[in-house]
Amino acid sequence: MTERDRKTLLQVEHIDVSYDKLKVIFDVSLSIDEGEVVVLVGRNGAGKTTLFRTIAGFLKTDNGAVRYKEEEINQYKAFEVAQKGIRYIHQDKHVFSTLTVRENLELGSHANRNTEWGPVFEYFPKIETLLDRRAGNLSGGERQMLLIARALLGKPYLILMDEPTEGLAPHIITDLTKSFKKINETTTLFIIEQNLPLTSQIANRVYCMREGRIVAEIGSVEEIKKISFEKYL
Amino acid sequence: MRNKLLDRLGPLFVVLAVTILRYLFPNKISFFTEIAIYTIYVMGNNMLYGYMGLVSFGQPFYLGVGGYATALFLAYVGHNPLIALLLGIVSGLLLGLVLGPSFIRLKSSYFALINAALCAIGVFIFERLLIDITRGNDGLWFRSNMTKLPILDIRLPQNFFIFVVIVLFLALFVYRHIDRSALGTMFRSMQNNEEKLRFIGFDTFKVKWVGFTLAACFSTFAGSLYAINFGFVNPSLGENSRAVEVIVATLLGGSGTVYGPFFGAFAFLGIKDIVSRWITRWELVVGILTIIVLFRFSKGIWGTLKEYLLRAQRRM
Repeated sequence: MTERDRKTLLQVEHIDVSYDKLKVIFDVSLSIDEGEVVVLVGRNGAGKTTLFRTIAGFLKTDNGAVRYKEEEINQYKAFEVAQKGIRYIHQDKHVFSTLTVRENLELGSHANRNTEWGPVFEYFPKIETLLDRRAGNLSGGERQMLLIARALLGKPYLILMDEPTEGLAPHIITDLTKSFKKINETTTLFIIEQNLPLTSQIANRVYCMREGRIVAEIGSVEEIKKISFEKYL
Repeated sequence: MRNKLLDRLGPLFVVLAVTILRYLFPNKISFFTEIAIYTIYVMGNNMLYGYMGLVSFGQPFYLGVGGYATALFLAYVGHNPLIALLLGIVSGLLLGLVLGPSFIRLKSSYFALINAALCAIGVFIFERLLIDITRGNDGLWFRSNMTKLPILDIRLPQNFFIFVVIVLFLALFVYRHIDRSALGTMFRSMQNNEEKLRFIGFDTFKVKWVGFTLAACFSTFAGSLYAINFGFVNPSLGENSRAVEVIVATLLGGSGTVYGPFFGAFAFLGIKDIVSRWITRWELVVGILTIIVLFRFSKGIWGTLKEYLLRAQRRM
């Protein structure tokens, strides 16, 4: 897909978000185009996860709008947002631990009425070998693969990943990075990442967040490769 | 392949075991009939607690409603026990549909307590408010109003046992089907993490509502069977002092499993039957056993047994 063909998939327009009376997101605007890998960086407490939870429908905005495919989705509940094609992978790598890997995938299949697991196994062949294992017994990397695999069922348009590589061994991060590139051939990715060298490898665009505000947007590949956005954190 | 076949035949094994035991101990027919009915009652609670992680201190209310729905029909309206049983299930369906939306919004402890409150209200309704038709503590008798079924005269205890065993088989078959279906997986994952289920795209409110309604149906159906078994009902069927019993039976058998309710019902009623011959406060022994099970065998009788069986199978 060329840059010119890209359409805007997600648009966040001047949103404020609060936890009760405590405002944590201030006038945030951003946009994600189809086929991009956009990375959101920022220190702990900058409001990155809150922003993701708002897009995913878990939190409501005080002001502003979240548009997905030009439709305002603020009013939708989380499961309705997921059904529209936005999947959110939480940072805690929480799988349904008492269920098997197969059952975890079946849940994804059932929610999205998609029983084609083949393409998912192409991204993560290891998952196919673990189908009968209890998900609670998987390693951190395997759990992350399962979460992404489950999110991919139903062919979502956009996946929000909250720190997918946190706590993983370097060789697993390398494998996951390769998978992200493959997944990005068909799916748009919006990722929160603290690992700046990794960000520089995968991102088309980077948003920097600080104290609940977007403080910079870096779209130049050269700038991203040089990790020049570090100064905004 | 062999495992799948054994798994499918599970309900048959259970009813065969009950039937064999009933013929081995012919004077214990009422005990085995009660085990079959109590299993269905525990299945309802197991769906709430074992699958969805919702503790309810109000299950006797649902049992009582099912019992009274059947009893009132047979005492005042009709004579067919099958229609009376069907009414029992319908009463559960209505309770689930009406109470569900407000109850399932509540978090665990509030859910447990509102059900306990409902139970107290239920006893008041059965005992006082509707005394003219329920006859309060004197109970409502209707056995003589029941007609016999075309093939089986279930008014006779030996025939009612056969009927209950067939019903248990069907109930276990349905329960096993739910457990293995996507719905069963959703129930179990709800206990794991409800929020994550919403991430995937499930309306967890509806999933809970379905589970709550199914649980109510199992409980009211058990109440209906109890009513027909005894030929009368009185408010003690729905007393909230008995609410803990079904939770203990669920834990003893192994919560969140298909066959746990059967083992729980068997163990609970068995202990009650044996111990109460020597000690008036038989609950003491059940309490001690429950503590032992919780600390030493947290998966309950069936959960632990299943683990041993799987281990033995791997060795072979």
